[in-house]
Amino acid sequence: MEAADLLALLDQQQFRRLRVIENLLREKKTVSTLYWGLRYRLLYLIALDKKMARGALDAPAQVLIKRGWAETGETPDQVRLTAAGATEQAAHAEHPQTWANWGMLDLLAARQRLLLAVQVVSQYAHSAKRYYPLATDLETRQAVRNWFHQSKSAQLPEQLFDSLKSSLEKLPPVTAGVVTDLFTGHGQPGLTADQLALSQERTAWSVTLMQFDGVMQIAQDARESDHPLSALFRPLWQSPVTRSAQQTLAAVSQGRRVEQIATVRQIKPGTAREHLLEAAILLPLAQFPYDWLLTPPMRAAFAASLTGPIDTWQYTALPQALQDRYTFFDFRLYAIWCDKRGVGDA
Amino acid sequence: MLEPLATSLEKVFGFTKFREGQQAALTSLEAGQDTLAVLPTGAGKTLIYQLYGYRHQGCVLIISPLLSLMNDQVDRMRMAGFKRVAAINSLTSYRERQVIMRHLGEYQFLFMSPEMLAQPQMLAQVKQLQLSLLVIDEAHCIVQWGPDFRPEYLLLGAIRTQLQQPLTLMLTATAGQTTRQEIAKQLRSQPEIVAESVDRPNIFLDVEQVADESEKQERLTALVGQLQGPGVVYFSSKQQASDTALTLQQQTGVQAAAYHAGLSSEDRFKIQQQFMAGQLDVICATSAFGMGIDKNDVRYVIHYHLPADFESYAQEIGRAGRDGLPSVAILLYASGDEQLPLMLGQANRPEPETIHRYYARPQAFSEDDAAIALLAFYKRHGISEAAVVNLFSRRERERNRALAQMLKYVCEPRCLRQNWLAAFDEQSPAHHERCCSPAGMTPDFEQLGLLASHKSDPVAQDGDWVARLRRLF
Ligand SMILES: [Zn+2]
Repeated sequence: MEAADLLALLDQQQFRRLRVIENLLREKKTVSTLYWGLRYRLLYLIALDKKMARGALDAPAQVLIKRGWAETGETPDQVRLTAAGATEQAAHAEHPQTWANWGMLDLLAARQRLLLAVQVVSQYAHSAKRYYPLATDLETRQAVRNWFHQSKSAQLPEQLFDSLKSSLEKLPPVTAGVVTDLFTGHGQPGLTADQLALSQERTAWSVTLMQFDGVMQIAQDARESDHPLSALFRPLWQSPVTRSAQQTLAAVSQGRRVEQIATVRQIKPGTAREHLLEAAILLPLAQFPYDWLLTPPMRAAFAASLTGPIDTWQYTALPQALQDRYTFFDFRLYAIWCDKRGVGDA
Repeated sequence: MLEPLATSLEKVFGFTKFREGQQAALTSLEAGQDTLAVLPTGAGKTLIYQLYGYRHQGCVLIISPLLSLMNDQVDRMRMAGFKRVAAINSLTSYRERQVIMRHLGEYQFLFMSPEMLAQPQMLAQVKQLQLSLLVIDEAHCIVQWGPDFRPEYLLLGAIRTQLQQPLTLMLTATAGQTTRQEIAKQLRSQPEIVAESVDRPNIFLDVEQVADESEKQERLTALVGQLQGPGVVYFSSKQQASDTALTLQQQTGVQAAAYHAGLSSEDRFKIQQQFMAGQLDVICATSAFGMGIDKNDVRYVIHYHLPADFESYAQEIGRAGRDGLPSVAILLYASGDEQLPLMLGQANRPEPETIHRYYARPQAFSEDDAAIALLAFYKRHGISEAAVVNLFSRRERERNRALAQMLKYVCEPRCLRQNWLAAFDEQSPAHHERCCSPAGMTPDFEQLGLLASHKSDPVAQDGDWVARLRRLF
């Protein structure tokens, strides 16, 4: 990731911690990382660069600071945009269009399947039987092979072309071009992200984000059952919440208490609470039992003490009586609830 | 009674004639004789074990050190019509490995990395298989001592014994007498040797001495701008390969790309395919490039850094001119270039003092360090401290000898080909004007017909994206 890429992820008001952004990209999903990912509106970055080295954002951050586009806060890890940086961001930074749903799909697997499927159908359209398939993992190969055997028909290439075209038309033309040029097919090896970045004078990361945008748009359209890629993508839709957290959430929704659940499932109560926070952060407001976990007196008590922007709230700054009555879990859940309703963000 | 070899060849591959060396190797194997085949790149070494596997019951186990290449090989075998083929190495996902292990007995061809085979559980499984043939691919890796050295190759002799000395085929593109003897010794075998000359008369050999790094870069830029492509430039460092690809593209207007082990497999695939499709003029590569490449019309191979030994140099220049047309291999040398291979070698070589301290307290060392990882490997396999010290000093002598030989080539005043072939114990034809140009002489590339007459077509990006999408289908 380069300076220009990081620029798009920063904010003028909010100090953002580089480590949180890094952990999101590397899929180090602690509750704290997820919570701040929520607050930064950057949860869509989860797992997009698992191989990123630790501290890889420090150098791009330094570049932004040197150019006067960013400044550090209390610690060098906290960074926000300067006025000049915000102007630069508004002028140049691009954002994916479909990011809000990225957590609902195994985006990396979807990308692999799409690339191989396009190659296979392209070769098929040109009646080529012998060619080198893209090197992918066994699961992708099997999924695409099964899909192809079931969907193979003389009309398939035309159908796939039509549906890809209609999906890509919903995106900016630059994005559509990038997604197209990254495909591999008959007589067309396809470009690498680096090559495209060079020829378009943008960063490799922004090219990659555009490709994800394209994959997501295509996958969304493929939810229609008559879409040629429907069966290929269907198994890749997933809850953003881990299975273990889903189980805890289901038990709570049936009215069990955290301690009971922990005993039954043989996990620590703390782990069960982390499951719940993870679910609260990653799921829409209506899919989490806030009414059950945040009682009216609790809400009233927090509302009376916690004023001002959410990011300034601190559990340890609460009156002692409140800290005695409510745990950090209650406090954090209240903040998530407020965040999801848009309260506290003036 | 088995059908004649020629009949099998026709049935499986549709060829009517063997290439040089293939028949001799197969005949030797059919006679139950371990065989060391020293055949140049592009001579069709894989056909030997493919055909043997076709003719005999059981599994052909192929040990290959090149991870990135292994999956290519499997794909090629599948394309050639062999269905029961699989590869296991450290890049294989856990799930995929489980699937392969469940069906282990069903494969006709099994590719494995040496470190995978060295694992006791894996070895136990492999012992249960009925092996028709054991193939040691790139067998010169047993003696090479570069940064890519695979210590596991040293265990192959012991492993082979544990597997009850199956019939063994050792394959390499280049090996002089010393290397051949070492391979045989390490594998505890007395193989029949089938060797073809490493000489490639259509490759003009050129050594150019430059004053320093910046002059070298200038010379490279001039050569790439001037010579007919496609070409390959070899580097010892990934970073330099990437940087140079970029500079060449900007300064000379050629289509250039980098290729090295640091790229994702998708990017490697695309670059390879672009190169094959004639969309690239030049590839800036590390030694990771080349093995899977079936491209006959490579016109030049330039070495930007001094190769560590003649074996790798011969392999790499052997990728030029497979179509038999005039081609050139250029080695750029600035005095002091030998420091780099020396350093790369030393980085992996612990001092006797370190070896001693490691053996006394292994837990005090981190295996993140390549040299320590190597020591840990030896210790785990029960090799004593004294033996390890001995091994390292022998290796170092071997490596220094190989490097000195390379330097002698660079300084050769009369005939490079003679010098080169002498390293492989071969006689050279008499020097002539289309043979070579030692340092200090100026090669006439125009006279040799090596100057560029056309550039490759850049990757088509014309038309709008809908038209480009249309072309796919
Ligand atoms: Zn000569």
